[in-house]
Formats: sequence, structure tokens, C-alpha cells
Amino acid sequence: MPSITIDGRQCNYEGKKMILQVAQENGVEIPHYCYHPGLSIVASCRICLAEVAQPNPRNGNKLELIPKLMPTCQTPVADGMVVYTRSPKAIANQKAVMEYLLINHPLDCPVCDQAGECHLQDYSYKYGRAESRFVDDKIKQPKKDIGPHVLLYADRCIMCSRCVRFTKEVSGTAELGVFGRGNREQIDVFPGRPLNNELSGNVVDICPVGALLDKDFLFTQRVWFLKATPSIDGVTASGDHIRIDHNDGLVYRIKPRTNADGNKWWISDEIRYGWKFVHAQERLRVPQRQQLGGMVECDWKTAYREALAGLRKAVKEKGPGSLAVMVSPMLASEEAYLLGKAVRALDEQAILAVGPVPVVGEDKTFPGGYTIYAEKSPNARGVRQALELVGGGAESVLDFPVFIKSLEDKQSKTAAMILTGGYPTPAGESKELVKAVGKRFMVTLDVLPNALASKANVLLPGATWVEKSGSFVNVKGKTQGFMQAIGVLEGARTEGQIALDLLAEMGASEPERYDVATVRERMGGMWVSGVAMPSAAESAVRAEMSYVEL
Amino acid sequence: MALSEPVLVKRIPTPPWGDPADRKYVGYDHFTATGGYAGLKKSLGMAPKAVVDVVKDAELRGRGGAGFPAGMKWSFLPPEDGGRRFLTVNADESEPGTFKDRLLLDFDPHLLLEGIAISMHACRLDTAYIYIRGEYHHQAKTLQKAIDEAYAHKIFGPDSILGLINNFWPQCYVHRGAGAYICGEETGLLESLEGKRGWPRIKPPFPAVAGAFARPTIINNVETLAMVGPIMERGAAWFKSMGKGRSEGVPPTAPASFGPKLFGVSGHVQRPGVYEEELGIKLSTLIDKYCGGMRPGSKFKAAIPGGISMGVLGPDQWDAELDFDIGKKYSCLGLGTAGVIVMDQHTDMVAVARNIARFFAHESCGQCTPCREGTGWMYKILSRIEAGGGTLDDLDLLLELSGSMGALPGTTICGLADGANWAVRTILNKFWAEFEARVSQRRSKVSLAAAGGR
Repeated sequence: MPSITIDGRQCNYEGKKMILQVAQENGVEIPHYCYHPGLSIVASCRICLAEVAQPNPRNGNKLELIPKLMPTCQTPVADGMVVYTRSPKAIANQKAVMEYLLINHPLDCPVCDQAGECHLQDYSYKYGRAESRFVDDKIKQPKKDIGPHVLLYADRCIMCSRCVRFTKEVSGTAELGVFGRGNREQIDVFPGRPLNNELSGNVVDICPVGALLDKDFLFTQRVWFLKATPSIDGVTASGDHIRIDHNDGLVYRIKPRTNADGNKWWISDEIRYGWKFVHAQERLRVPQRQQLGGMVECDWKTAYREALAGLRKAVKEKGPGSLAVMVSPMLASEEAYLLGKAVRALDEQAILAVGPVPVVGEDKTFPGGYTIYAEKSPNARGVRQALELVGGGAESVLDFPVFIKSLEDKQSKTAAMILTGGYPTPAGESKELVKAVGKRFMVTLDVLPNALASKANVLLPGATWVEKSGSFVNVKGKTQGFMQAIGVLEGARTEGQIALDLLAEMGASEPERYDVATVRERMGGMWVSGVAMPSAAESAVRAEMSYVEL
Repeated sequence: MALSEPVLVKRIPTPPWGDPADRKYVGYDHFTATGGYAGLKKSLGMAPKAVVDVVKDAELRGRGGAGFPAGMKWSFLPPEDGGRRFLTVNADESEPGTFKDRLLLDFDPHLLLEGIAISMHACRLDTAYIYIRGEYHHQAKTLQKAIDEAYAHKIFGPDSILGLINNFWPQCYVHRGAGAYICGEETGLLESLEGKRGWPRIKPPFPAVAGAFARPTIINNVETLAMVGPIMERGAAWFKSMGKGRSEGVPPTAPASFGPKLFGVSGHVQRPGVYEEELGIKLSTLIDKYCGGMRPGSKFKAAIPGGISMGVLGPDQWDAELDFDIGKKYSCLGLGTAGVIVMDQHTDMVAVARNIARFFAHESCGQCTPCREGTGWMYKILSRIEAGGGTLDDLDLLLELSGSMGALPGTTICGLADGANWAVRTILNKFWAEFEARVSQRRSKVSLAAAGGR
């Protein structure tokens, strides 16, 4: 395998690559601003320059030092190359570039959202000089509102042009451009053409400094207070890898997690801002039951008893096959399995059905390869697989339209059912379902109030995906696990826990806590070992960032 | 040593052969009647490769500033692959102090068109784009007029005498710039030509391999191409009979200074203007013989040999020989475009440096960090020194800045920062006392009459 030496460390590589890429793959840090693996190379920030010696085939492969400093992001590797990023010349350049970058930078870190995850700060400590020799007036640049999600603080900008290249190459919309020249140039949008594409939030992620800011996250939290939990997109079927940044039980933002086989470095704004329902005021917090024609709050014990009584009554009156469970594609596969098991414990012929799968528009693929999927629920496939495991075979699980038909059928034996929701938007609400259910006994598990919830005989408050662990099967059929980021809303319980509680309440099993590993073991097969989990490194390190050793 | 007959200004009356008052546009008929397009006719009778060899033999070096041998550049083109290949003519002439191409474009554009046609034939280029400086309104019109005449006489266009090239009839277009210095840098020019922001490209790939529209492209300066016609007509040996030739002691493969060159002289001389002389003429001869000497009462203090990015010649370099080796001999960057700016004893060198720094800060394209921020910083420091707020530390800082940024230490993509560096560095080194006096005593012993109108 060919290799090069960077600062005395041997780095192996394959294929045609640049020095910086090989360094990154081998865990050697070379400072860089403008280089981003998902964008074209412009080699304009000039901090990655290093001294490079390469073997000259015309001189018996003797190592010859290239007299100029070479941009490592843009110099292709050759076997036997030796790179010095800590030579006096390279260090002098790093110091010079850092000093240049800070000349017109306002140094307003105390009020900057990026502080704590800012490349300028990190590299300043690592590669910069303590004091600037610049004593003249700084250039003041405006703050601009450039789109529905993004603010631009132009004077913090270091002109790496990552965002401009992103809108050109990945979203293909080219809203951003470089305007002006020299040290007065700015990033800006064209008049009347805001940065409003469906991927606009990504420019904030790739901005190495605090120039592009997320309006949603603006001034809400210092980033060093945030804890990051690796997770999976929970609002569309993409299965995009995300990171949930939270503190004290509150989610503050969602960021993409690098995922070479899927979303790469990007997520859509829909996913980025789709978590708002997690902290919605109107979240269901207490179990409720129908009493004297109205919904009355009650404790969990009463709610479980009431629910079981209604379900048992139906089985008793109408015999086997009178129960049904409809598991929403918003739930994890493990929860679907437990809910299926719970219902089947009461009625061995209970109908197993998948809830409505919301579809909005059509799949949309961007020039950079990123796709926004029309399917707006994360786990339609996983819920089906888990229920099939309970029912035994594909025919045992009904899709939503078939389930509706079976309810509307005059011969329908179904007398009581467990329904689950959990949709963040009214898109998941189905009017035909409300109609088809009619006056049947209904236990509903949901997170937000809606038409179905208000008609339930027993309403149990469920949890969102950030409050629990589990796994989703995405649109491509890949099973990916996610971890609980924040605690469940006080008063609510995860659907998995509710299923286990019901099983315990009916006496079918001992009381136990919802634990994905145990459930997966019970499910067996690929669920034990085939669920793709975030790596330990991903759980530990913030994307693209490293901590400064002082 | 002196030019015996005018070459490039053959049809443009220029002292000592003619009176500038008699200059007028040279049309197609006038041009052909005085031997024009003879070089093209001769070239068309030769194989393309043979034409390239003649230009290579002549050791014609680029007249646009860098002095890269034109024949060598032409031979870098990859073999024909059936696809399109372009010629781009750099008529952006934006280097301050340079106005030599303007003379050719104003009066004798057919000389350029002849060179274009020859190089299209020699290098198998099917389309020529003349990228002309945005401020050259009149010149663009004149050029277009000449191109229309050339089309009418089948130099270009359908049924051109050049024949089909890459299965296209040769075309020639004028493309006007929008007023940016950086678009005179060859890859910045290509970006601008493609309709993008004029940010120089990373090399390699060089334009000969992937230039305009990612196809093989030759970029030459106006004067370089204008020289090709006469060379083809009269031969390489004739061309090499002019000029200083190869310096003593250098290997025969080293590029040398052959042929005539246009010198655009401005500043404190009696008759500023464009003059044609052999390469290697002394600065003193150029000023005394052609420009009528310094202005009355003026004494030579400094001169910029070739556009401000080349640095300055000091008071003791009055006899400097203006050829491509000037850089090594007189510690400046090079001959550049041979746009000579002469300064007399009343010139405030601090103001000169400040004005030059202002130009580069304004024209930096803003792509690379060191140039974007460094040129602006230099300008601010020099402004402060000029205003009396400088310290000795500032001078050291200026020297450090002008040594650490630029393409030569490798910290930028193009050479713009080097231009700023060399100008500031040479002025600082050669007139250190003047700067020192300004920062320590906070006042200058020279008047502020010159430079920047202050």
C-alpha cells in the first residue's frame, strides 16, 4: 500500500487523494478552513500550507523539497512524499494566516453563538499568535437577514466560500455569492432572492466561524453546555444520521452527523427544525379517560385498568378476533413488537395493522445527491417487520387502507382497539380513521391532542423519538438504532413502556422497564446484531471538531 | 545599439521616425498595401508545426509581464483530439503605468489580428477571444471595426483563408472586461470570460491543458501576438538580430532578451508616450533620446521599470538596462510590461508606496487570505506613516508582511500579492532613510507634490 509521511507519521492511502484527505483519514490534524470533503477545492484560505518533499524519478527517486509552500488540500499525494506541517516555514505561515484572519474579525466571541465550536478560536489557540500587531481601524461589515433560517454576520466572515460552494454544488440553487473585492468583500444574496432552499440550514453547519447563524438557535444556549446524542431522523423516512444537542432535558438543535452511505454531511431543514413538537405546550401529559361524555384526567393505574377492562370486555363478548392494534410508523420497531405482543396476549387473533404513512409531494433529489423523501414518517417498514414477527408472516399485518376497509366492513368483528399516533403534524391525522372507528372501544396512545385522541375511551400520553431508544428502518430498508437523548416528558411514558405495563397489568408478565436491548433479544434474528448503531467515537466527539489541549 | 527601423510602430508615426500628430487608424487596405498579412500568407504555406518552430527559434518572450517564451507556451498544447481549442488575447492592460497595447489597438489593430490568425493556424485554435479592458471603450470599437474588415476579407469566418480548424470556421470575438485588475491574470481572465467572478484558478492544470471552458487554450498578450506577424514575414534570425540577446555566462537554454519592445514612458519627463526600442536599452537613453529628458528642473530620483508591481529603480540606477534580466541586476521583480514611470526629486516615496498599496488593496480579488487582508493592512500602515502616525516598528512589520505573502513564498494562488510586495519592499529598501525620517521626525523633507495628488 502506498504511503506518505506527515510530520514523521506514516500515513497509508489508496487511490488519488490530496495530502489533507490522507492526513484526515490517518488522524493527523492539518488546519484548514476552506476545505470541506463535500465541496470542491478552492485552496483559498491558505492555512493548510506545508512544506512538501517528494521523490524525483528523474533523480533516482531522491527526495526533493518543493521550494514553495504547498496547499495540502490541493496537492495530490505521491508515494514516498514527506510532508512537514510543523516546519518553521509552515508554522510562520499558519501564524501569519491567523493574524490576517483576525485583522478585520470583530473578536466578539462573548456574544457569538459559534464560540466553543469555532475553528477560528481553536486554531487561534493552536496555531495563532497571542497578540495582533494590527493597530488600525477594523472594517465594519453589516449584519444581514439572508433567509428564513439564516442570519449573516458579515464582519465575522473569513471568506472561506464554503457556503457559496454549498448553494452552487449541493443545493444547486446558488442563492449565495461573493460580492465586492479585497478585504471589503462580503457574502450576500441577490436582492429579492433569499436563501430559502430546503437545505439552507446546512450553510450554518459548514461555516467554520460565527458568520452564518441559525435564527432558531440564536442566543439560546452556549454550545459548551450542550450534550450531543447521536440519533436518526425521526420525522421523515430518510434515516439521516443526526445529532441531538440538548441540555437539561431540553432539545436546542439538531445537526447532521457524517454518514458516508446516506446523508453525507447534510440534512434538510425539515429534519433540522422538525423537532419542535417535542417541546410543544399542548403535549399530552396525563392519562385521560372518557367519563360522562367528557375526557377526565386520571392516574396511570386507573387508565390501565380502564383500558384492559374495555379490551377484555370486547373479547369476552365477541370472541377471538375482536381486538385490533394499529401501530403508527412514528414508533420504533421494538415498540411495535411489544404493542403487538400485548394485544395478542389478550386476543390471539387480534388484527395487527400499520398506521397511516403520511406522504407529501414527491421525492426530491438535489444536485449534490441529497434526497428529501416524500414519506414523512421514519419507520413504516420497521413497524411492519416487527408486527410480522408477532403475527407470523406478511399476510398477518394489514396496511392502513386495508385496515380501514376491514373496519368499515359490516361483517367486522373488531370491537375494541389500541391506536397509536405520535405524528408531529396534522398530516398523520386521518379523518377516515375517526369515521371508521365509530363507536368502538378505543385506547389511544398519542403525543399531541387531535381529533382521534379526543374520541378515545382511554388516552395515554406517549413519547417522541428523542425521548426513547429504539430503531427505525428507513426508506432504503436499512435498520438503524438511536439512543434516548432527553428524559420522557413528565407524566408521559414511552409507547414501549406502556405496552410492557399493559402486559404486566394483565398478568402476562412481570413488571419491567422498557429496554431496547432486552426487547431486541426477544425479537431475535437480525434485531440482535443487525441494527446499525452510532460508533462510540460518534457518541463522544462533536462533528469535525476537536478539543484544544491546553 | 538602437533600432534601425520601426517594427510594431511601422504604420504608427512615432518619434524618431514620425510625428504622433500624423497617427490615424490603419485600415485593411492600408495595412495590406504596406506589407500587412504577408506573414500570415507565408505561414499558411507552412505546416502548423513549422510555424511554431519559427516562433520558438525566434525566442519571442511574452510581452505581458512574465516574459514566458511564447513558442514554448504554444508547444505545451496537448495533441489535437477533435474538440475545440481556444485562443485568448489578453488586452486587459490594467497594470498601472502601462499603455503600450492601447497604441496598437487604437491605430493598428490588424497587426494584432494577423498575429491571431497565425497563431490559430499554428496551434490549431478555432476561436479567438480578445479580452479587452472595460475602460477601453474606443479601442474596443476600433478593434471591432478591424475584425469586421478581417471577416469581410475572409481572414476569419466562413470560407476563411485559414480553412476549417477543428471542423469550425475560425472566429474572432471581442469580449469586454468590467474593470478589474485581477482579470489581467490569465486564469482570472478565463474565469471572467466564462462569465464567472474573476478569481484566478489553481494551477495545475495550466490553461494549455484546460483553459477556457475547460478546453486547451493559449493566452497571449496583444504585443506578443502583434510581434508574430513580422517574425513570420522576416524570419527568426532577423528578429534575433535585435535586442540585447543572451547575457554572458548563462546557458543557451535560458530565455534571453531578443527583439524590439514597446516602452510606455510616463511621469516627470518632457515627452511621455509609447516608444519602440530594442530590449536592453538603457533607461537614461530612453528618457534622454526619446522623451526629451527629464522635465526642466527635475532630477531623476526613481523609476518603476514596468508597471507598479515590478518595484522601483533607485536614484543610482539611472543607467539600468531595460531587458528581461533587469530583475536580478537591479533588485526589482522584472521588466514587466515595460510601462516606465519616471519620478523626480520632488516625489514623496512614502506617498508613492501608500498609493501603490492602495491600488493593490483595492484590486485584490479577495480569494486568498494573505493577499486579501495583507494588502489592506499594508495600505493602512502606509497611510498612517504618511499621515505622521508611524513608528519604526511599522517599517519592520511592512518588510515582514511584504516578505511573507504572495505566490513566490507560495502563500497565494496568483501573483497579485507579489506585485504589492515587491513595490513596497523595493521602495522601502531603496528609500529607507526617507521612511525613517518620516516615522521618527514625523515630517518629510520632500514635498507632497507628487503621487496621489497630495
